[in-house]
Amino acid sequence: MAKKRVVTQFGMGTSLRSRNYTEAAARAIRDALWHNALNVAEAFGFPKEAMIVDVEIGVQRPEAVDHDALLKIFPYGRPAVSVVKGGLDIDKPGGASATVVAHAAIVVSFDMEPAHD
Amino acid sequence: MTEHEPAAKTATGPEKRVILELGSGNDLYGVDYTKAACRAVQDALHHSSIVLFRSLGFDSREMRVQVTIGVQQPQQVDLAVVAAELPRGRAEVSAVHGGLDVHDAEQGTTHVIATAAIEAFVPIDAAQWRLSAPD
Repeated sequence: MAKKRVVTQFGMGTSLRSRNYTEAAARAIRDALWHNALNVAEAFGFPKEAMIVDVEIGVQRPEAVDHDALLKIFPYGRPAVSVVKGGLDIDKPGGASATVVAHAAIVVSFDMEPAHD
Repeated sequence: MTEHEPAAKTATGPEKRVILELGSGNDLYGVDYTKAACRAVQDALHHSSIVLFRSLGFDSREMRVQVTIGVQQPQQVDLAVVAAELPRGRAEVSAVHGGLDVHDAEQGTTHVIATAAIEAFVPIDAAQWRLSAPD
């Protein structure tokens, strides 16, 4: 095993009205993914399916995030999701609910090594 | 291979595009196309980090960075100022007609929006690398 990180992508997502932590996290993932087009797999001559995609989400209520829903966003690769307490909740005027902010960091790695050693 | 292999790895190989980073930026009240372009570049840059330079021992000075700015008045973009926003690699900046101007005829104001596309090219010899065998 020689898991090497090649690119990390960053994004932010929100749920403005429905206090949906999964939706905010999903938007953060899309924000991270759709700001970048990666060519690293083809640059090294690897299949896209070899991409190891580790997703780190920060929201104030990690237990409210549906991991399976987030995994479905990824068009290829081998994604895994972890969620920590982070992001930000901001109370709405009156305090009845909150606006949710999620952060996503998507770490792309390959299990790779020099061909000649 | 010899112990000189890592140095050879970074210095050889055909240039490959490793990433295309996209961003947008605006200047709301100054109609400053250069400022909007710089903000677009910062937006594009900060949605990713090309960590392979560290993890695989590549030299970021060998990276060629091709920046294309889209704004409605490309001739008003100071390309040298935009190039100074790129922290690593050899930056080449060009500006083309694109972006968006949002004009308010009643107030006589214009918001300018710039697009930035940043392409990073690195010399990589794919033959020097392989996927590790599964455990």
